[in-house]
Order: sequence, then structure tokens, then C-alpha cells
Amino acid sequence: MAEVVVADAAASDRFGLTWQPALAAGILANLDRIDLVEVIAEEQFGASSRATRALETLAHQVPLLVHGVALGPASTAPVDVRRLDKLARLVERLEPVFWSEHLAWVRAGDIEIGHLAAAPRTAATIDATAANLSRAASIVGSRPMVENIATLMDPPASDRSEVEWISSVMTASGCDLLLDLHNVHANSLNFDFDQVEYLDRLDPERIGAIHIAGGCWIESPGDERRERRYLDDHLHDVPDPVYDLLVEVGARARRPLTVLLERDGRFPPMRHLLWQLERARAALAEGRLRAQRCGQGRAQRNGDPGPDRTKVCDES
Amino acid sequence: MSPEFETFLARLYTDAPLRARFLAGPREEAERQGLTVEECVALERIDRVGLELSARSFAHKRTLKASSRRARSWWNSVRAAVWRRPRH
Repeated sequence: MAEVVVADAAASDRFGLTWQPALAAGILANLDRIDLVEVIAEEQFGASSRATRALETLAHQVPLLVHGVALGPASTAPVDVRRLDKLARLVERLEPVFWSEHLAWVRAGDIEIGHLAAAPRTAATIDATAANLSRAASIVGSRPMVENIATLMDPPASDRSEVEWISSVMTASGCDLLLDLHNVHANSLNFDFDQVEYLDRLDPERIGAIHIAGGCWIESPGDERRERRYLDDHLHDVPDPVYDLLVEVGARARRPLTVLLERDGRFPPMRHLLWQLERARAALAEGRLRAQRCGQGRAQRNGDPGPDRTKVCDES
Repeated sequence: MSPEFETFLARLYTDAPLRARFLAGPREEAERQGLTVEECVALERIDRVGLELSARSFAHKRTLKASSRRARSWWNSVRAAVWRRPRH
């Protein structure tokens, strides 16, 4: 029974790319190899009517996902209702498979930070984030999937680990996880934790989608020790450890997954992006297969269908 | 995180002179902002390398967004002008 569930999930796994104008021709020419396309919400808010119509046409050809990058729900301040109204209109128009946002804060009052900042990991920010996600769900009409972010700084005043904080937000909000594996990889390099242990502490049934991307090392300015941190920049190829993590996710998750390759610039030829998507397909399939073999081995030994949660087993 | 703590963190990310003053004396600067004792203690132990690198990365993102807005506004004005032109 467990093997059947895993096989069904594998058959329903979908793989796609983030929409970028520079990739438009390549995406449209390869829709037989791209199952879905992710659209950045904020890039559509000020779009011309022509661009909007083009996107609506695209939505008829391939399933879309709407991904927000500037709502900032992980804040003590309530999320901006005007932004939510715009998101609601976009979601209504494009009818995406789901919409998503980051577990981050991006502004305080009239100060725009410019990008996604990690919130201090406390009980107070868990409650505030859950309240903001609930407000978002009520205005947009559906709960977002929430994404773990990469950070260069360990947020001050935190009293728990990143994975504990994320799990608590998911429990409090009811939102499923868009698990960014490159962000897990980046944070594990910057703050020295075990990536697989991180996955072990997430409920695999709550992982609905996956992001993969690339990054690079940067050095601290003016620091004699030249301390390095790893930056999630979406400008480089997906590194090998991220595919390894995707195998691990495939071995744990039983529900169908959506895997998106994010690339924001320094675009390689389309065939190279498609090759990375194929590597992702192979990695997730390898993990699914491992779960099936574990389930079969267990069933043969015990005559039982295996545990509810397919975890990595020691005979793999 | 109190709203005041959040605002102060946002200023640390975006205001280079304040950041320099803060890094020279974190406790003093945090106290000057009227933050709680716990918040001041947390800021005293701040990840200094992470703060500097984050601030640099955020500044780069703000620059990119501003130039993208400028380009879009320039393109919109050109398109509007062309659109308004009488057609013969």
C-alpha cells in the first residue's frame, strides 16, 4: 500500500521554471518539458495591459503558480491590505495551482529593507506571522504555501532553531511548506547545521513544493579574517548538494510535489536550464524509488504495510 | 520582537552611519533607542559579519529595484507618448 502511494505521488510530481522575460521564448518552445511556470506576483502589479493579456494567454497553456516576494508576513506589523487586494486580483485572474510567500519581513513602517529579512525566531513572531497569514488567506481566498528563506545573519533575539520556528509557524497558520532546498543548503553552510537532520525535523506531509536554485560565496568587507558567507543569488547553477537533498525529500514525502528551478539572471542557454530540471526529476525519482524499496522490504519482513511516514531507511 | 525592535533592525540594515555607530557601541546605541533590556542584550551579541553582509546585499537589491523602476517608468512614458500621437 505504501509503495502504491509513493508511486502515485511520483507520477504526479511536476517540474517547472520561474517566468522571466529573458526566458519567455525558451519556455514557450519547451512546454512539453516544463510542467508549470511560476510568476512573481509583484512583477505583475504594475504590468501593462498587453503584458497582462500575454500572461493570461500563458495561463491557458501551462499551469501557473503565483509567488509573492514583498508581503513580509513574518512581522509584528499587520500585512498591507492593499498589497493583499492586488494579490487577490492576480490570483483570481490567473487561477494558479497555488500561491506562496516567504517567511520573512521586508519593511518596518516606511523603511523598505529591499529584500527578505529573517525574523527573530520567538513565540511572538510565530503568533504575529500566523495572524498575518490568516489575514492573507481571508483576503486572497486561499492559504499561501510558505517558504523558508536564506539569511546571511543569524537573526538576533532568537530563542529557537530555524526548523523549530518554521514548523511552529506551519502548525499555527495551517499553511504548507514551499521548501527551498537551496536556502536550507545556504543556511547550513552559514550557520553550521546538518541539512539532512533539518529535513528529518520537518513533517514531510506538509511539504507541498520545492524550490531549487544556486548561489555563491561572498566575503565580509574590511574584515581582516575575510569571513565568508554563502549567498542565495539565483544567478548560478544548482549545486550538487541541493540535488542530494531532493533525493532525501523524495525518500520522505508521500504526496505529489511541485519542483521549481529559480533563475533570476546570468541566464545560460535554455537547454542547460532544462538539463537542470531533468537532474531534479531524476533526483526526486531516485528518492521515491528508495522509499518504495524501503516499504517493500519492510512489508516482506513484517507482513505490514510500513509506517505512515516514509523516512530514509538504513537498508538503502 | 517588538515593533520598536523591528524598526531598529530595519534601520541597522539600511542606515550606514547608524550601523557604524551601533557597531562601535551596540549596547549604548540600543539603549539610546529605548529598547528593552532583553533586546539590548540580544543586540550586543549580534552577528556582526552577518549584519554587514546583509546590509550590503539589501543595498544592492534596493539599487536594482530602483533602476528597474526607473527603466519601467522611462519605457511607460515613451509608450504613452507614442500612443498619444495622432494617427494619420
